Amino acid sequence: MEGRTGDDASLVDRLRRGDSRAFEDLVIAYQHRVFGVALRMLGNRAEAEELAQEVFLRVYRAIGEFRGEAKLSTWLYAITARQCLNRLTTGERRMARQGEETLTRLASREVGPAEEMERNELETALHRAIAELSEERRIVVVLRDLEGLSYEEIAAALELELGTVRSRLHRARMDLRDKLERFLP
Amino acid sequence: MTCHDAREQFSGLVDDALVAGERAALEAHLATCADCRRELQRFRDTVALVRAVGPLRAPAGFVDRVLEAARLVPWYKRLVRGLFLPWPIKLPIEAAAIVLVGIGVALVYRATPPQRFSPVESIAPSMRDAFEGAAPQGAARAPAREAEVPRETEPRRLANTRELDKGKNQARELARSPEAKDAAEPPKAPAQTPPSAAAPPAAALQQPATRSRDLDALKTQERREKLESQYAEKTHAPRAEGERAPSAGTQYLQPAAPPAPRSQADASALKRAAPSITGSALTPPAVSARLTVSDREAAVRSVTELATRLGAETYRADSAAGQDQVLVLMVPRDVYPELVRELEQLGRWQPSNEPAELPAQVRVVLQITR
Repeated sequence: MEGRTGDDASLVDRLRRGDSRAFEDLVIAYQHRVFGVALRMLGNRAEAEELAQEVFLRVYRAIGEFRGEAKLSTWLYAITARQCLNRLTTGERRMARQGEETLTRLASREVGPAEEMERNELETALHRAIAELSEERRIVVVLRDLEGLSYEEIAAALELELGTVRSRLHRARMDLRDKLERFLP
Repeated sequence: MTCHDAREQFSGLVDDALVAGERAALEAHLATCADCRRELQRFRDTVALVRAVGPLRAPAGFVDRVLEAARLVPWYKRLVRGLFLPWPIKLPIEAAAIVLVGIGVALVYRATPPQRFSPVESIAPSMRDAFEGAAPQGAARAPAREAEVPRETEPRRLANTRELDKGKNQARELARSPEAKDAAEPPKAPAQTPPSAAAPPAAALQQPATRSRDLDALKTQERREKLESQYAEKTHAPRAEGERAPSAGTQYLQPAAPPAPRSQADASALKRAAPSITGSALTPPAVSARLTVSDREAAVRSVTELATRLGAETYRADSAAGQDQVLVLMVPRDVYPELVRELEQLGRWQPSNEPAELPAQVRVVLQITR
């Protein structure tokens, strides 16, 4: 994965000094993660790109507010998650749900041999299962199982109690288990 | 622990997020409940499946688009920051830059006036025509200088092309009418001094004005070369940083750009490439000289051959057959003595201006006369 946390401290220093290359480095390092979360949450590539762009611009303008108590990545995830949830709850969605099928199509772009198709079927089912989770469960499972954040980091990013994180995650996984029943051994 | 309670802990177990007591209780229940063990396995498999989902990638060009947007959004802030902040640092720098520009302009202004006495003026009219012919685009500067000679009080600034054209025409007229020639070049050009002028004291006695003008020209040139090198040092760094260097000053002080030594093929190609020679034709020659020969046409051929052999660039002015011929040679300094030796073989070599210290590329304006 790009942008290891070890480099984050110096990256933040450079950003605070107004080093324009640092901003570029930040975008390069985190673009896929921020975009990935946005796409999982919004289900539409164009909307996800727009949101990811907003996230980076926000970071660019607000780097002075970053206290360094959390990891830079956690801060970025927090901004991304909040932006996504805001957008989803305020109904401020110009691109509506027209592209919501994007995620299910993501995995089936390449059609190959039979086992490949089977794998694609699983991938499609997975994307769809995640996409069908409620927003508040989806964001927790995305941050935990796809992005690898700890419970504490998720709690910090979403400003939730640790217990809430744990229970939402558990519910999300139980939902997924039900949806993925036929792929389980 | 009930089965329901146990299953509620599955996430914590999978993530290794249970406290010791919770974990022990769960493991005790699992040890006795086959259903919960099976359920836990399905739960683990589900999590494994989800975690195996490949990461999504931002679309191509995303980084560039973000950077572009970052430039657009806070433009006013960036502008203010870029121009004025931090004040305590930027103000003195800007003030210093203005002072430097002022000094540069003053230096250039002081260095420029003696140019009117440059040896260009002291060469024969045919040569002046040659320069105009050779420099159709760049001619403005040379004739403008010539036009000033008879009218010393005329302001040096010839701002627009109409004025430049006027100056050029005046210069042409002056150059062509014999009576005006004297006015254009007050004491006669050294090209017309008797052969004895080669002896410095005699020349000094007979042509005091010419002599002092030549010295002037020499001094000016030395000074300009010095300034050029100083400026080159001074202006390079700031220009690289912020393009705030006094562009007018550096333009004037542009060194006579000695071209790197070229191959002979290049040299002959350059004969036809007027613009490169044109540029140099407008700067005062390092050496102006007269070569008195019996056959001018033959001498032109010999000099051209000689120049090619020495790796010099030559340009021949358009002069009618049967008249004095003018050649402009760009010759590397180290072969200049050889050139002079060879020219002395061809005819009587009479330099009217030959500085003691020559530039790396010596520009020789040679009038071949009979």
